[in-house]
Order: sequence, then structure tokens, then C-alpha cells
Amino acid sequence: MLISLAWKNVWRNRTRSLTVIAAVTVGVFAGVFAMAAINSSIVQRIDSAVNEELSHIQINNRQFRSSSDIRNFISEPDSVISVLQRTSGVADFTGRIIVRGIASTSTGSAGVEISGIDAEKERTMFTLSQRLIPGTGSYFGSDTKLNSAFIGEKLARELYIIRYILTPEVLESLAGKDVPASVIEKLRPLEGVRFTTEKKFSDACSGLLSAKENRKYGLKLREAAWSYREGSRIILSFLDINGDQTGAAFRICGIYRTNNDYFEAMSLFVPDNQLRTLTGMQEGQYHRFIVKLENSNLTDKVTPVIRESLPELEVLNWKEIQVDLAMIADYVNQIYGIFMALILAALAFGIVNTMLMSVLERTRELGMLSAIGMNHRRIFMMIMLESIFLSIVGGFAGMAVSGVVIGITGHTGINLVKYSEGLEAMGYSAHLYPTIGADFFLMLTVLIVLTGILSSIYPARKALQLNPVEALRGE
Amino acid sequence: MKDYQLAWKNLWRNRKRTLITAASVFFAVFFALIMRSFQLGTYAKMYRDAIESYSGYLQLQNRDYLDEPSLDNGFVADPSVIKAIEADHNVLAVIPRLESFALAAAGSRTQGVMVIGMDPENENKALNLRNRMVRYKLTPGAIAQLKTENLPGRTGKILDAYLNKAFTDDESLIATLGIRESDTSDLLPLIREYAIFNNSFLSAADTGYAIIGNGLSDYLDISVGDTLVLMGQGYHGTSAAGLFVVRGVVTMPNPDIDNMFVYITLNDARYLYDAPDLSTSAIISIRNNDDDELIRTQERLKKVVDGDLTIRNWKEMNALLLNQMEADNRSGAIMIGILYLVVAFGVFGTVLMMMAERRREFGMLVSIGMRKGRLAVVVGMEMLFIGLIGVAAGVAASLPIVFLGHARPLRFTGEMARMYEDYGFEPVMPMLLPDTYYLWQVVVVLLILLIAITFSVRKILKLNVINAMRS
Repeated sequence: MLISLAWKNVWRNRTRSLTVIAAVTVGVFAGVFAMAAINSSIVQRIDSAVNEELSHIQINNRQFRSSSDIRNFISEPDSVISVLQRTSGVADFTGRIIVRGIASTSTGSAGVEISGIDAEKERTMFTLSQRLIPGTGSYFGSDTKLNSAFIGEKLARELYIIRYILTPEVLESLAGKDVPASVIEKLRPLEGVRFTTEKKFSDACSGLLSAKENRKYGLKLREAAWSYREGSRIILSFLDINGDQTGAAFRICGIYRTNNDYFEAMSLFVPDNQLRTLTGMQEGQYHRFIVKLENSNLTDKVTPVIRESLPELEVLNWKEIQVDLAMIADYVNQIYGIFMALILAALAFGIVNTMLMSVLERTRELGMLSAIGMNHRRIFMMIMLESIFLSIVGGFAGMAVSGVVIGITGHTGINLVKYSEGLEAMGYSAHLYPTIGADFFLMLTVLIVLTGILSSIYPARKALQLNPVEALRGE
Repeated sequence: MKDYQLAWKNLWRNRKRTLITAASVFFAVFFALIMRSFQLGTYAKMYRDAIESYSGYLQLQNRDYLDEPSLDNGFVADPSVIKAIEADHNVLAVIPRLESFALAAAGSRTQGVMVIGMDPENENKALNLRNRMVRYKLTPGAIAQLKTENLPGRTGKILDAYLNKAFTDDESLIATLGIRESDTSDLLPLIREYAIFNNSFLSAADTGYAIIGNGLSDYLDISVGDTLVLMGQGYHGTSAAGLFVVRGVVTMPNPDIDNMFVYITLNDARYLYDAPDLSTSAIISIRNNDDDELIRTQERLKKVVDGDLTIRNWKEMNALLLNQMEADNRSGAIMIGILYLVVAFGVFGTVLMMMAERRREFGMLVSIGMRKGRLAVVVGMEMLFIGLIGVAAGVAASLPIVFLGHARPLRFTGEMARMYEDYGFEPVMPMLLPDTYYLWQVVVVLLILLIAITFSVRKILKLNVINAMRS
């Protein structure tokens, strides 16, 4: 009875109620969508951290991380293997040897972390092999006679292995990518010219094209002109097990691209047997074991089990290695909650105002209700329900709209390539696929109802302060 | 009665509504200001750190060096060009540098490093490297000894979190360790006794000495007096190797620099890389560094230098940092945009209500001879006043916080601090003093009011007196 009365009251002044409801709808939609966009980049970041960069758990010699001295390898690998084999929750594991060194070509050099890996095993454990840029070779092909290295695009750039050339074939192919013939004609002077950096190539293009054409086709041109000399060689130098400087030429077998510039610039992979030969590390000696679990939720449970079994080694999970990411992952819901609360607080002002008007307008009516025996508690409840209706109708509408929009953009993606340099330097993707958990909507519903309740208190108290006799006499 | 007096009186006829509406504006303005102040203050600090610890405001470089920072894109400075640059009224000095990459090794530990060959005295004038010299360092030994003393609870507890942390002066030490003023006089002598760090600076005549970042010294486990091997690729592909004795340790706000930089004298660097007379860049230290003057100076100097050389400003040299901050800035702006959108709806709702409620009153006023135009002005002013009360209150409430946050920046400790450092940022969030961003909030609120005023003025001008009186 009270509920239907309150519901009817809401619709007595349609325009006024709809304005507030629209405000709540827009506010909730905007908030939820912004959260979903941010959330998507975090979800993607965690996914690449676990599946490409760190794995779930890493086991090192205690001294290894603070100084990657080649001699700080794991002294009893067999005990690690047997522990990992009998720990439940462990899906797979592998060993790596890791040395710090310099990668150089005739024109550039950069500091790198060289990981000697069991290529076949890691292909099944991680998704990095799928990050290979098409046309740059393969993830450790069949030819194992030569030293081969799998490197990141950022490193390849730093070593000037990547160039930009508009070959006749590339110019031809542009026509098939919706680049008009007039633009292609303008680019003819660049045919066959080799550019060593993206910047130089862009500058040359912008010199020939109008600003508008450049904006529209610049990205396509850069992608098309991107080229790499297959089988380029780099020199890797590092210290061997005796502390002597050593090194060798490596053929680049493939280039990978991730969203994490730092990882791309630092991490270079070579087959472990080749690195063993060069460093003098024995078969079966490893610097690090990396462990993949059956699923990410097991991380907090399995880590202490392994840690207890291997007290003399350093056992760390991805959350402990990337504290920043773990903090974001763990506190993300609270952060969303705070932001939504801020929006709802701003909305509450509108609701309070509307309800206050509505109460003051109905002075006579409320006096009448009170006079015919409706008690204070019920009047209070009625006002509160009206206020809750305002907020949940708007809130549900907002959630419904955002659900649909997230569904669509989550499929098509949002492109922020314009800011990608900054984002990718921090390891976040510039392509967002908005997504948000169902529990977020649950929390939001609670917050919305709470907003309705809190913003009804003041108007409802006002309603109770009305003296029925005076109220009836008024007007 | 004047129009504005009438409007002001009208406001207080429905005091509660006025105050609630103004409060919603206040709420948005206040949060927007605090948030912006933190964000912009943090960016400003990062820019300043990047400029002061590495790039300087302007640099003389080869045209290609920015895109391809290698020795091959270095230049041999022509004294006449340097003279010509120094002749500019805004230029204090031109300080050549030779930078390149090398592998640093100590014992069996290695790390890739940036080697900066520089003129110690001049570099010091431009970037104040000497002020970055470590004065105190919380080595494991120092912490162990400090713990044997009777420390105030809080300081004792957090000591471990700052293992190997270095400080350049008393102030930063006191702020970081959260030492209370009353304890300072007791604690400082103890810290001086145990954590003092003996350090000295390079001089131009030194050969075979280096200054290294604190992070690097921990990583390689070396300190003052220890020897460091630098190996790399010299000019035109020659191989470069040299032995350097660590003379001093500096601590840099940017952890990337702290972990990676080795400073040696310019002559040593030229010898190491087999590149006599070569420079990769030259810092141009200037008198007046505000944005406009900086760009004007850059343009003037560009005309002085010839074909291969150019002048870069700090924004060009720190493009990645700028881009990163821009991405962050956008996300902050979107949040504030949403907040204002919601408030705009609230204000609009109130206006709608008010108009509906006062139809009869407006009809009456017009029928007794008030011109509609004047009525519209009065109502418009009412709204303007509500908005301005909100803005004024928001600004007034934010000012003390902003000034305090600027004078005593928020400093993160523990986990949060590590998170910041992992990102390559110093865990300090200073607030930016009032600037144009204050003006922006006023503009946004005025824009919201403009919509509300346009709506109500149209309503009034279209008012049908007979219908209005009847309602």
C-alpha cells in the first residue's frame, strides 16, 4: 500500500521526477562506463603480466634478484623440481637461465636481460609466442644451428633493426587499404628510400601530404612501411660463469610486440642450450624456475605451500613482484566504489532538492494524512520510498544503458592510439575493451539505494515537523 | 530597488533550495580543485625533476640525435657557434656533454648504464648535481645501530622500509622518516653519527673517477673508493673499456636515473669512447625559463646554429613523460567532467522546479507592469548568484588545503611508496598553487549556468500571462 502510494506520488509531477531520474541515469551511465574502460586496461595488464611477462610464481636464488650475478643460480634444482611436481595446483613449470648484458648492432646498443629458455616448453606455457609480429620470422624456427634470439619491437627499434621503406609493392598494397591514388602519387618521391626511425618517416610523409591526409592515412602508411631485415644479427655481450667478458652474434628469429614498452626493451629470449655453451653454465643449472598455476585464483594459496617447501630459495608470486599491479588488482573495487560514491553524492543534492520541493508543496496533503491517522513512521517511510524510487529508476536505467554500451564497445574496442606511447610505456594497452564484473553492479545497486535513503532523511524530517493543524489551515 | 537587489532578496525567499543548489556546485568545484591541484602539482614536479636532474631546459644537439641517440649523431662543437649562443641575453652558459651506453661491472655483477661525460663545475651550475650528493644513507649497519638507541616508536618501525635509502639534506630525512619537531634535536645527532655518508664531488682535472647513482651503487654493491669497469661500444664501432674509481654517490628523484647513471668527466668520456672533441649534446643554461621566454630563446638560438645542429627544449626531450602525463591528465579530466555533468543536471532540475513553481508570481509581476526583459534579468541574476556562491565557497574551502599541500607535500610511505617507485616516480604528491585551473572551474560553472539561464529566460519571454495567473 505504502509502496504503491509512493510510486504514484513520484509520477504526480512527471517533469520534475524525470529530470532527477535523467540526472541519475546519466551520472550512473557515465560513471559505470568510465570504470569499465579503466577496468579493461587493468584486466588486460594482469593478463599480459601473468601470461607473457612473469608467470604466476618465480623461484630464484635469494641473492639473484638484488644483483643478477650469473653465479647466483639455484644450487639444488632437483629438489625444486620434485617439490613443484608434487604441489597441487601447479599446472606446469620450466627453468630459465638469465644474464644481464648488452645487445648491440653497428649503430646502436642497449642493456638487456637475456633469458635462456626451453623454447618448446614455453611455447605451450605462455602466450608470448603468439605476440610475434607477422612477417618477422618465427618464434624459434627449425634452424637451430645458428644462435637465434627472439626480441621485442622496442629493442629492435633501439638497435635500428626496424626501418621504414615504401617499396613499390608497399605502395601498390596501399591502394587496397582505402588510401586514395592521389595520396599514393604524392608519396612516389619516397619510393625505395630507407628511413631508420618512425619519426623521420613521418616527417618525410608530412612534408609531402596535406595535414588532413597525414592525419587520416599517417598510421596506415607507418604500418605499411614498417619493415625489418629478416635474419638481422645482433651482438650479445655479457659475463660468463668465470666473470670473463664473452659474447656472440645472434640471428633474430622473430620480433614480438606487447603493450609493455619496458618489457619489450629489456627482455630478450634465446634457447637455453646456446646460452649454456656461451656462459659455461652446466646442464640442469637454472637461475629461475617459473611456475604456471591451474588458474590465477590459486596464487595466494599455492605460494606459501611452495615457499615452505623451499625455505632456502626466494619464492615470489606475480603480486609480490609487481606490487603496483597487485595493489591495483586488489583495491580496484574500492577505488571504483569511491568514485561512484562521489558521483552519487553529487546526484544526492538534486534528489534532496526535488524531494524537499515535493514535501513543501504537499504541506496541506501531508497534514491531512497525518490528521486522518497516518503515523509519523509511515509518512517518513513514504517519503523515503519516493526518494529511493527516484534513485533506483534512474540507477537501473543508467546500469541498463551502460550494460548495453559496454557490451558493444567491449566487442568493438575503443582505440586510444593517440596516447598509446604514454600508456604503453607503463604497460597498459591503448586498445580498450570495456568490461566490468557483475559484483560491481551489485555494489552499485546498494550504493544507489543508499543514496536514495540518505537523501530522503532531510526532506522526510521536514515533513514530520509539519504541524497537522497548521498545515491544514495553510494556503 | 535595483535588479540585483531584487534578485538577491529572491534567493533568500527559499533559503534551503538556494543553499542546497549552491552546495552541489560547491561540492563539484571543491573536489575538482583538490583533484586538479594534486594532479597538476605532481606533473609539475615530475617535469621539474626531469629537467633538473637530466635534460636541462634547452640543449644543443645534432638534428638526428633526439630520434637516434647514438655517438654517430654527435657533433664537434665549433667555438664560434658556442660563442654565438652564449652571446644571447638569456643564455648563461653552454655545457657540452658526451653520453652513451655502457655495461658497468663490479666483481661479477653487471648492469647496463648511461654514462654521462660532463664538465663537473659547469654541469653543477646548470643542474645542481652537487646538491644531489648523498649526505646520509640508511645502510643495514646504520639501521642496526640506530635500532639499539631509544627511538620514538614511529621512526623505529619504519626504518626497515627505508633500507639503503639515501638523503641529500636534513629536511628530506626528517620529512621521510616522519620525525616530529620535538624529537629532531635528539634524533638528528644520532643519525649524523651512524648514517653519515662520506662523499666527494668530481673536479674537471680528475681522471679515472666516477660519480654514480645510489640505486646503481646498491645494485652493483659498490660504494665510494670501489672500482667500476665500464665496457661498451666506442665511436665508429671501436670497443670501449675503462676502469673508474667511485668518488661520490648521488641520489636522484627519478629512480630510472638513480639506478642507471654514471657521471665521469668529459675528457674521460671522450677518451673512453675514443671520440676526441665529440659531444652528443650541450646543455644551455638560461636565466629566464618561463614557457614563453623559453620558446622565444629557442627560436632565436635556432637561427644562430647551422644546418646539422638544432636546439631542443625540455618538452621535446621528455616527450614520453609528457605523453604519459597527458594520458593520465585525460582520465582525470574525464572524471571531473562526469562530476560536473551530474551537477549540471542537478542545477537544471532545480531551475525547472523553480520556474514551474513561480509561474503565478511571474504572471502577476508582468501583469502589474514589470517588463519581461527585466524579469528575465532578475531571474538570470538569481541563478548567477547561486552559481557564484557555490564557486566562491568551493574556492575558499580549497585554498587552505592547496596551500598546505604545496608547502608540505603528501609523502607516501610503505607499499604505496614502492608502487610509485616501481613506476619510476618519486612517492611525493605536491599540490599546485592556484593557477589557470582555478579559472577553468569558474568557466565550467558559468557554462552550466548559461544553459540554465537560457532555458529560464526563454520560458519567461514566452510566458502567457493569463495562463500563468490561472495556474
